[in-house]
Amino acid sequence: MPPLEVGVSKQVTRREFLNLLGAAGGTAAALKAGSALGLLPHTAQAATLDLRAANPAKRKVAILGAGLSGLTVAYELSKVGYECTILESSHRPGGRVFTVRHGDLIDEIGNRQYCEFDDEPHMYFNAGAARIPSTHRNLLAYCKELEIDLEVFINENKTSFMQDPALNGGKPIRNIDYTTHTRGFLAELLAKSLSAGEMDQPFTDSEAETLMSLIRSFGDLNEDNLYKGSLRAGYASGGFLEHGVQKDIIAMSELLKTQMGSRFLNASEGDTGPMLFQAVGGMDKIIEGFTNHVGHQIHYRSMVNAVEVKDDGIDIAYDQDGTHHLLQADFCFNCIPSHIMTGITNNFPTQYVDALKYIRRGTAYKSAFQAKERFWEKEDIYGGISWMSNPSKQIWYPSAGMHKQKGIILGAYDYIDGKLHTAMTQEQRIEAHLTDGEKIHPNYRNQVEKPITIAWHRMNHMLGCSARWQRDSDGWTHEEEELYRVLQQPVNGRHYMIGDQVSMHSAWQESAVMSAQWALADFDQRLQA
Amino acid sequence: MLKTFLVFSLCMVCIGGTSAAESEREPFDDRYCTTCHGTDGRGNEGVQAPRLAGMEPWYLRRQLENFRADIRGVHAEDREGTAMRPMATKLTDESIDDIIDWISSWDYIPAEATIKGGDPLRGRGLYGGCAVCHGANATGNQSLGAPALAGQNDWYLVTQLKNFLAGYRGAHPDDTYGAQMRTMVSTLRNEAGILNVVSYINLLSR
Ligand SMILES: Cc1cc2nc3c(=O)[nH]c(=O)nc-3n(C[C@H](O)[C@H](O)[C@H](O)COP(=O)(O)OP(=O)(O)OC[C@H]3O[C@@H](n4cnc5c(N)ncnc54)[C@H](O)[C@@H]3O)c2cc1C
Repeated sequence: MPPLEVGVSKQVTRREFLNLLGAAGGTAAALKAGSALGLLPHTAQAATLDLRAANPAKRKVAILGAGLSGLTVAYELSKVGYECTILESSHRPGGRVFTVRHGDLIDEIGNRQYCEFDDEPHMYFNAGAARIPSTHRNLLAYCKELEIDLEVFINENKTSFMQDPALNGGKPIRNIDYTTHTRGFLAELLAKSLSAGEMDQPFTDSEAETLMSLIRSFGDLNEDNLYKGSLRAGYASGGFLEHGVQKDIIAMSELLKTQMGSRFLNASEGDTGPMLFQAVGGMDKIIEGFTNHVGHQIHYRSMVNAVEVKDDGIDIAYDQDGTHHLLQADFCFNCIPSHIMTGITNNFPTQYVDALKYIRRGTAYKSAFQAKERFWEKEDIYGGISWMSNPSKQIWYPSAGMHKQKGIILGAYDYIDGKLHTAMTQEQRIEAHLTDGEKIHPNYRNQVEKPITIAWHRMNHMLGCSARWQRDSDGWTHEEEELYRVLQQPVNGRHYMIGDQVSMHSAWQESAVMSAQWALADFDQRLQA
Repeated sequence: MLKTFLVFSLCMVCIGGTSAAESEREPFDDRYCTTCHGTDGRGNEGVQAPRLAGMEPWYLRRQLENFRADIRGVHAEDREGTAMRPMATKLTDESIDDIIDWISSWDYIPAEATIKGGDPLRGRGLYGGCAVCHGANATGNQSLGAPALAGQNDWYLVTQLKNFLAGYRGAHPDDTYGAQMRTMVSTLRNEAGILNVVSYINLLSR
C-alpha cells in the first residue's frame, strides 16, 4: 500500500506511524508511573473554608465590586461575623454573570439598549457566563448550598448545523454528517496503514486486534475496513415503518474544503465537554442565591475612586449620587477589573501596579434575538450550537423551554476577537447577524426580532470580557507568572485583588470563586499567625 | 404632588404593563467618562484613556465634536481613537455641555512621568517648533487652538504624536488643526524624536 499523503511533499511512512503509536504506549506507561507516585490529581473535593470568627475590634471589611468573587467573600465572611460593605458602581450585582430579560438595561457606553423580550421566565439571555462544567466543583458546591436549581446545558447537538461557503456549495450540513463521515474517512486511513504489513512491535497480536476493532467502530467501517457511509448519520428516508435508506456520503475531498473541522470537532471537549449545566431561569440565579444572604450589604451606583492602604486600616473613597463618600475598613477584597483599577487612585506598591497594568482585556461579543416561534425545533434541533465560518460564528438554541411558543436564541458569539462587531453601530451589528444567520435558516430574518447586542469591551464598569495574562499562546512566561504571584498576595495584609483575573484560567466563574477562596484562606491564616 | 401621583397610578392601571415597565426602567445619563478615564478623569493607562481633568473646555468640545462627526477616531490603526469614537456618536449638544461642566469640576493634578528612553536635552531642541503654538511651558494657547501639553499623560502624548506622524490622526479633510499637527510632527521624524520631545515636556509644569 502506498504511504499516506500528508500535504504535498511530506509522506508518512508506516514506520513513522508505528513510532507514533509507540509514543502513545509510552504515555500510557508514564501515566501508570505517575499515579503510583501520586503525581496525578485525585478526584478532589470542593474546598471547605474553615474561617475563624471575626475579632470584634477588626471586623470591618470593604468589598469592591459585586462580582461573583466579591459576593463569595461577603457570604463567607458574613457567616463568621464580619461586617461587610459592598461597593458596586453599576446598578446591578453579578458583573459578568449577566442575564438579560424584559426591560433590562444593557449599559454599553455609547450604545445603551433596553431589552424588549417578552416578559416570561424562559425568555432570557445569558450575556456573560452561560455554562457550568461538572468539574467546576467549588461553584457547584455553592449552587448546592444556596439551593440553586440546575439543568443540563446542551452544548453539542448532532442535528445542529455547520455552514461554510466553501463546503457543500454553501448549504449548511448537519453536525452528524460532518462528524460521521470525517470519522469514517479517518478510520479508513488508519486501518489501511495498520493492516498493510505484518504487525510487529510495539503491539501484541491481541492489542493489534483490539486497536483494529476500535478503529473500525470509531469510523463504522465495513468488513473490508472501508468506509461506505453509515446509518449513524441518520436516514435519508424511512427507518421506522419502512426500511431506512442510508444517506449519501459526503466525499472526503468535500469535507476538506472547510477549515472549520479543527474548531468544530473539539468544541465539546475540555471545559466545554459534557456534562455542562446552567441555572434554571438564567445564570444570575446564582447571583441571587448570594444576594439573598448579602444583598443588603451592597451599595449600588457607588463608584470606587480611591484606595489607600494604611498601617492600621484601609480607606476607600467612592462617589454615590454625585457626592463623595469615605468608607473606612480593616480589610478589603477587590474584584474591580484590573484595567479599571489602574485608573483609580491608589497607593499600591509599584510592582503590584505593574502587575495590574500588565493584564490585557478580552473583547468577547454576544448577540441575541427573540424568535417568534421555535423554528429550529421543526428542523429536529433542540438545544445545542450551529457553527458558521462567518463572523457571527455561532447560533445557540435554548437548552430549556422546549415546545413553548417562543424562545431566545444567541445570534452571534465571538469569544476570541469581538472587535469587528464592537466597532459597528447597533444597526450594522444586527444586519450582520441576520445576513449570517440566514445562511443556515433561510427564513431567519422574518423569524427573529427584538435584537440585543453585548460588546463586553464597551460595557460600562467592565470594559472587557476577561483578563488576558499571556502575551503568547505558548504558555506563561516566567515574568508573567511572577506578576501573577505578586497580584495574588495582599498589600500590607489588608488589600486582596480577587476575581478570575487573579487566576491562571480566566473567563470562568469557578476561577472567580476559587480566587476568593484562596484569598480568604490566606487572610485567615495571616490573622492566626 | 398627590394629584400627579394619582393620575400616574391611574395610567398604570388603564394602560397596563408597558407604562409601568417604562417607569421602572433603569435611568441613565451620559456621565460615564470616568469608567475609562479614571478617578476624576486623571487618565488610565490600563485602557489607554488620557487625562481629561485640566483639559481646556474648548479643546474638549472640539474633540468630542470631532469624534461625534467621524472626523477623529476613524482610521483603523488608531486603536484608542476608534475605541472612543463610538462612545461619542450619540452624544447630544446638551450632553456635551454637561460633560464639559462636569469635567471642569475635577481637580487638575499633573500626571506622573512614566516613559523611559527619551533624551530631554534633545527634546528641548525639538520642542522649539511646538512652543510656537503650545507655548514655551506647554500651557497651551486658545487663540491658536493648541491645548496644554504639560501635565498630560506622557504615554498618551507619545501615542498621539505617533498617530499624527503615521497619518492615523489628523488625516481627515475636516480636521484643520489635525492637519497642522501632521505638518509640525514631521519635524520629530521618528519614535526616538517623539520620546525625546515628550520627555522634555515631562519637565515642564503648569
Ligand atoms: C462573554 C462571556 C462569557 C462567559 N462564559 C462563561 C461561562 O460559560 N461559564 C463560566 O463559568 N464563566 C463564564 N464567563 C466568566 C465569568 O462570567 C467570570 O469569570 C465571573 O463572572 C467573574 O467574576 P468576578 O468576581 O471576577 O467579577 P466581575 O464579574 O468582573 O465583577 C466586577 C464588578 O466590579 C464592578 N466595578 C467596576 N468598577 C468599579 C468601581 N470603580 N467601583 C465599584 N465597583 C466597580 C463591576 O460593575 C462588576 O460588578 C464568561 C464571561 C463573559 C464576559
